[in-house]
Amino acid sequence: MAAPPLLAVDALHYAYGERIAVESATFSIREGEIFGLLGPNGAGKSTTIRCIAGLQLAPRGAMHLRGQPFAPASTPSDRASIGNVPQELALYDELTARENLDFFGELQGLDAPARARASERGLALAGLVDRADDRVTTFSGGMKRRLNLVIGDLHAPALLLLDEPTVGVDPQSRNHLFESLETLRREGRTILYTTHYMEEAQRLCDRVAILDAGRILACGTPAELAQGAGTPGADLETVFLKLTGRRLRDS
Amino acid sequence: MNLLRHALAIARKDLRVYFRDRTGMALGFLLPLVLVAVFGFMMKLFVGQGDAFSRATLWVTDQDRSDASRDFLAALRQAETLKVRPAADESPVDETKLRQDLTDGELHHALLIPAGFGAKIAAHELPELRLLRDPDRAIEEQLISIGVMQAAIGTLGPDFADALTTRMLERAGIPAEWRTRTQALAKGFAGSVRLLFEERDAAERGAEQPAEEPEAKLGVNDFLGQVVPIVHEDFRPPERPKQMTYMLAHSVSGIGVMMLMFGLVACASQLLRERESGTLPRLLAAPMPRGAILWGKYLFALAIGALQLVLLFGFGAIVFQLDVLRAPVAFLVVCLAVLLAVTSFGMLIAAWAATTKQAEGLSTLVILVMSAVGGAWFPLQAFDPPMPVQIAMRCTLTHWAISSYQALFWYGQDLSNGSLQLSLSVLLGFTVVATITARWLFERRYVGR
Repeated sequence: MAAPPLLAVDALHYAYGERIAVESATFSIREGEIFGLLGPNGAGKSTTIRCIAGLQLAPRGAMHLRGQPFAPASTPSDRASIGNVPQELALYDELTARENLDFFGELQGLDAPARARASERGLALAGLVDRADDRVTTFSGGMKRRLNLVIGDLHAPALLLLDEPTVGVDPQSRNHLFESLETLRREGRTILYTTHYMEEAQRLCDRVAILDAGRILACGTPAELAQGAGTPGADLETVFLKLTGRRLRDS
Repeated sequence: MNLLRHALAIARKDLRVYFRDRTGMALGFLLPLVLVAVFGFMMKLFVGQGDAFSRATLWVTDQDRSDASRDFLAALRQAETLKVRPAADESPVDETKLRQDLTDGELHHALLIPAGFGAKIAAHELPELRLLRDPDRAIEEQLISIGVMQAAIGTLGPDFADALTTRMLERAGIPAEWRTRTQALAKGFAGSVRLLFEERDAAERGAEQPAEEPEAKLGVNDFLGQVVPIVHEDFRPPERPKQMTYMLAHSVSGIGVMMLMFGLVACASQLLRERESGTLPRLLAAPMPRGAILWGKYLFALAIGALQLVLLFGFGAIVFQLDVLRAPVAFLVVCLAVLLAVTSFGMLIAAWAATTKQAEGLSTLVILVMSAVGGAWFPLQAFDPPMPVQIAMRCTLTHWAISSYQALFWYGQDLSNGSLQLSLSVLLGFTVVATITARWLFERRYVGR
């Protein structure tokens, strides 16, 4: 019998009042893969991530982590399995990089020695060892993005959620971020990654799901998606536009 | 334990962030001290020189029970600057009870109409009154002096002028055999002068204000002492430092409470800043009870508030001789009750508001209104404002906080005192209601949307 997926999302549903954000979304994420969640603006990517992170309670649908019921919105201990890297920079500018890492490590329940080890590892991964004791307010946008990423991974979560982590990042920092993610993948970390940039998904993701208007339109490896869309060998952007259309999305 | 551990971690982080902004921190702590100093010194300067603000409460006991004393009491009740107690429909209070209440700081001025009052008036002599007073309540005494003088002139009628002239002549050392002629001469002269003034006033009425008479520069009490003989007897709680005035004690506690509210609302607004700076999702996604975020902010605000109070009352003790350690346990209890209530107020504002701007706007409005109505700027508690104002005053947090501090610093009360217990109960009641509401709003606005 095959091992259950790391995370199984089954018929997840979420609405903001009358507006449905996610409708019966079903997908699963395997251990050790980088799973891409792609979609135009307003497709429901962030809502899906927020439900998995426990920031929103989906009224319908179910989630399982390694085969066990998973309810992060209502069960604090379930949230320990998740590392959340929000789209916005979630840092305290007045604190140093090390103090930020230490604080969030404490919230994750790490004791002082574990925090110190995790902080050193995070600083190395973010390339910020030399700036560890500088206040974040003195950092560039790219440095902040890198720190934002490693804070989410401090407690070595089962699943790391990255919501559009490369927005507003220069090419050098973006490249560093990709290298960091590949390092994490080599360490066996499982990552859920949302992005607008198809080339990022093409480069990083083992499998992707394309989401539009709250529904999963397709799910598989980039090659499988191209095959399914009737454009074998095409890149992800071509497949994406074929599946979601060329109409502008403003919300 | 998990909740407390996480709440403490959040509070520590907030304190670290707070102390990083040294300029902001210095302003936060210095501003209350500057305001307290300015208000305190101004009150010190102006105390005893103020005009009538409203009515002052005067307790009266009639030991004569003659027609004349009853007329005098009725005239006192008519005086615009007085609220006479007991009221006409209340039971009389005897001298012993008044003395006890004065000693306890429960009341501040009592007038004794002595036995023989009516007989003296019948003999065309000025009767002697006895005013039991708190000597540091100078502003109220101005109002009382005016009211007593009005009542005396109204009650004694034309005989009063004769008796007054006789008294003045006696004081001037005029021999008795000269007085009758001098009085007749004075009457004629005064009548002529009065006529001249009346004619001038009739011609100029409404055109311009009359020139200030030289007598106006005399203190009301000095003048009253000349026309109505009053023996003063002072009552002051033994613990009260001599340097202190009521207004000064009021300034320290009133401005202190107001600034504490501003400071702690700002601290509580850290909750909104977490949301606006994007760190809130990370806190909400942490494996801890969500309430830890709110309690962390609560602990942070409490710590800053405690520090502010230490500085504020330390400053008051050093500069204004405020005796903060007279009743240390009661002082700590009052500080804790005020801190909890003000912090809960801050949390309520922060949990209600959707943005920092909303919180700042609402809190500024509410704090300024509560400060004005609750007597933080001016001691409304010392006077007798109209009933709607009294009700509004008692609906404010500032009133109960200031009353608690005044009970300690001014009236020398301790925790066994009923009025202090009432103030503390209201503060704690407010804390419970505001905290529960803040928690509910937090759950609704921040969690699971």
